[in-house]
Amino acid sequence: MRIMPLSMARPGEEVLLVGIEAGFGLRRKLADMGLSPGVPLRVIHSQMPGPVIIEVRGSRLALGRGMTQRIMVRGE
Amino acid sequence: MKEVTLALVGNPNSGKTTVFNNLTKTHQYVGNWPGVTVEKKEGTCRYNDYHIKVVDLPGVYSLTAYSLDEIIARDFIVEKRPDVVVDIVDASNLERNLYLTVQLLEMGARLVVALNMMDEASERNLRIDVERLSSRLGVPVVPMVASRNRGTEELLKKVVEVGEKKDPVEPFKVDYGREIEDEIAALEKLISQSKVAEGYSPRWLAIKLLEGDEEITKKFAEVEVG
Repeated sequence: MRIMPLSMARPGEEVLLVGIEAGFGLRRKLADMGLSPGVPLRVIHSQMPGPVIIEVRGSRLALGRGMTQRIMVRGE
Repeated sequence: MKEVTLALVGNPNSGKTTVFNNLTKTHQYVGNWPGVTVEKKEGTCRYNDYHIKVVDLPGVYSLTAYSLDEIIARDFIVEKRPDVVVDIVDASNLERNLYLTVQLLEMGARLVVALNMMDEASERNLRIDVERLSSRLGVPVVPMVASRNRGTEELLKKVVEVGEKKDPVEPFKVDYGREIEDEIAALEKLISQSKVAEGYSPRWLAIKLLEGDEEITKKFAEVEVG
């Protein structure tokens, strides 16, 4: 079990969201999009540079790389 | 001929535009929301002796005030008070979609839930108890497959039924737990004595204030409380 920023997860990896290191505004915005603590995520695409595409609660989201550095996840 | 205004809301990719096209066919036009470059689509349709004006709102995950799309959708529902709000829900992805539904219910919108993509839900072996969902939410729920134009008639039937109701909507209550509920109650009391509350649900305003919602906080900025 290691905790890392989402930006470090590899394509195909399934991880759990453990926390978001950001202010209330961004945390709220991400929660609205289904990114709340405890939710499982699957990384679809992650290649430097550029956005990270993840699957969460049955739909795909593209997140800016900067944002993914603030989303902490737990990998295998 | 009776007039009904209907607003379509839903998450991105829930099939909102397909429902809009099914309802309005060729009777639609595209404009802009005043002052912004977000597209505004409107159309009309007829059902029995009703003339229905259909407004397609931007696709949103939530009705907080963080993006222009959300503000447009929310202001239209709160300020223009459409007779009926149709919430297009992706049946194959209920959990995510019901988040917006609950926000609409909290706002006290006159809601009809269009449970779209029922075909995809059954392909994924999801069985949805439509009646139970409807009774838990307290609003009509219409199963649909908009891509094959199924459920459109039934949706229109519910829309005019709800549009005919004139009694105030009893807003849906989420229990936020004692600590928050105590604060909501205290704020609600103050809010209902102020003029800002006119036309809004005081409870909804109280929740938005606690969330630190900028738009709603602005409304109260000029008001003296006491």
